Amino acid sequence: MSIIAVNGITKTYRQYRRFPGLIGSVRSLFTRQYTEEDAVNNMSFTINEGEAVGYLGPNGAGKSTMIKMMTGILVPTNGDIKVLGVVPHEARKANAQQIGVVFGQRSQLWWDLPVTDSFDLHKYIYKIPDSAFRKNLELCMSLLSIHEFVQKPVRQLSLGQRMRVEIAMALLHEPKILFLDEPTIGLDVMAKDQIRRFLRTVNRERKVTIVLTTHDMKDIEEICPRMLVVNKGSLVYDGSVEDLRAKLGSERKVIIDFRVDPGLLDIPGITLLQDEGIRKTFLVPRGESTVFEHVSRIASQYPVEDASIESLDIESVIRKLYLQLASEEQPISKIG
Amino acid sequence: MSTYFMFTLKAFVNQLAFRSEVWLRLLGNYFAILIQVEIWRAVIGNGGSASTTVEQMITYSILNTLLFALLLNRVSSKVDGSLKSGSIASELIKPLSYPLYLLFDGLGQSLYQFIFTVIPSLILAWILFGMLPPASTIHFIAFLGALLMALILSFLLGYLVSLLAFWFLSHFALSWTLGGLITIFSGSFLPLWFYSPSWAAVAKLLPFQYLGYVPAAIYLGNLNEAELWRTIALGLIWIILLLVVAHWLWGKAVRRLIVQGG
Repeated sequence: MSIIAVNGITKTYRQYRRFPGLIGSVRSLFTRQYTEEDAVNNMSFTINEGEAVGYLGPNGAGKSTMIKMMTGILVPTNGDIKVLGVVPHEARKANAQQIGVVFGQRSQLWWDLPVTDSFDLHKYIYKIPDSAFRKNLELCMSLLSIHEFVQKPVRQLSLGQRMRVEIAMALLHEPKILFLDEPTIGLDVMAKDQIRRFLRTVNRERKVTIVLTTHDMKDIEEICPRMLVVNKGSLVYDGSVEDLRAKLGSERKVIIDFRVDPGLLDIPGITLLQDEGIRKTFLVPRGESTVFEHVSRIASQYPVEDASIESLDIESVIRKLYLQLASEEQPISKIG
Repeated sequence: MSTYFMFTLKAFVNQLAFRSEVWLRLLGNYFAILIQVEIWRAVIGNGGSASTTVEQMITYSILNTLLFALLLNRVSSKVDGSLKSGSIASELIKPLSYPLYLLFDGLGQSLYQFIFTVIPSLILAWILFGMLPPASTIHFIAFLGALLMALILSFLLGYLVSLLAFWFLSHFALSWTLGGLITIFSGSFLPLWFYSPSWAAVAKLLPFQYLGYVPAAIYLGNLNEAELWRTIALGLIWIILLLVVAHWLWGKAVRRLIVQGG
């Protein structure tokens, strides 16, 4: 059953034209010229109950705008959006009760109050029954190890501590959907790991649907089986991480250690990536001959000590996708 | 409702962080009242004129100076801050009515002002300058009602300005204008009975008089019964009118909302 249905959503921002310089700033007062920019352009997708979806794209791709429309803060310019069967901005308060939201770059805690006070206020705002509140709080606090700083004022917390509190808070009212906008931004490896583990548990065991935007591919790999990739406000990929890798990462990286430097090698069909004398790195496309055939052909001609075959990691896959998208746009932007 | 009272409490507790300000505010209020008292002593003289005595004017000045500390005029700068920093996003993802949240948060600040500024200043002013008692019990009850109206109207005016800020992305000019209108038409320094008939007529139609002149004039018993009822009725009409406009504008403003900074 689909829990989020986005159908032909467009969000247009209107930007009033500004003129440079002092005279320009006076001129800006009298002009109503503006440009319109689509932050989100005719976007459609559905998300089912219990899914964990990574929403990614380069900076300025319209990720945050989409999240804000799904949470009911922003009103779409065009199109339909249904979250849990209601239009989020029309039923903002009812929607808010059913969802949890974490903005990585923006705190929802009460800055001057101790962490426990923020939790207590949350209990009042969301009208959480006592027993459920205590149960959820205990679970979140132990899984995210919040106990040690629960009495400190929020402003004294480190970023990693604060983010753990933000995530715990977003789950206290047992939301059906959890939206996270860059939850791991700026965190150290340990904090990231803990948050990822926690989110995976929440998704798998408590069946909370997760939608998260990120720039960290490991977040996607560890939490989200499905990803949506957007660029310039449009959906460019919807599917699993593996499928995208198969689609784009058809090349394999082969590192061969030779016993003696064979000098310059020219093997048709494969590209030399890096040459460090006796260690050479090749890029082998998957084509008529397999990677293994290439390697054994080299091994029959030269003394090979060791060979390792690596598939492209997800980051390289995404980089390739972005580069491909950027090169596709070039001719269009020249005309425009 | 208990949820919103939590915000009142929280705003109150937050203000406690600025306790050291209490003495400065007390001093500031003392000077503000002293200056007005001296002006009225000079203008009216100790004998008093036919219509107004010095004692009445001293009471009028004390009431207005203290009323000013209670009014919810900081709403627009709060909303403005949220809009500029983008933290309005965090406020809107909560299952709360935004205007009610603002109102109760403002009430927390007023409550703080009441306890830590208004009451001590009142006692101080009473001792130093002397104050007339309310004209009658009825007038005192009406005065309390007028205070409530002043709180609501000051909130609604500030809230309207903050909604207009959704279009301009800055509230400064609007708040400045509102401040000017309040200074001129509230009669908080110069009672409306000193205005020329045409200006007094204008001021008595506008909502600003409820933020200064009306509560003080009711306290002093300067309004006869007919005037009293007419004034209260007009105030209620203004409250309803501003509520309707604010509600309509909120619907429009949310559509205009641009959340700054990603």
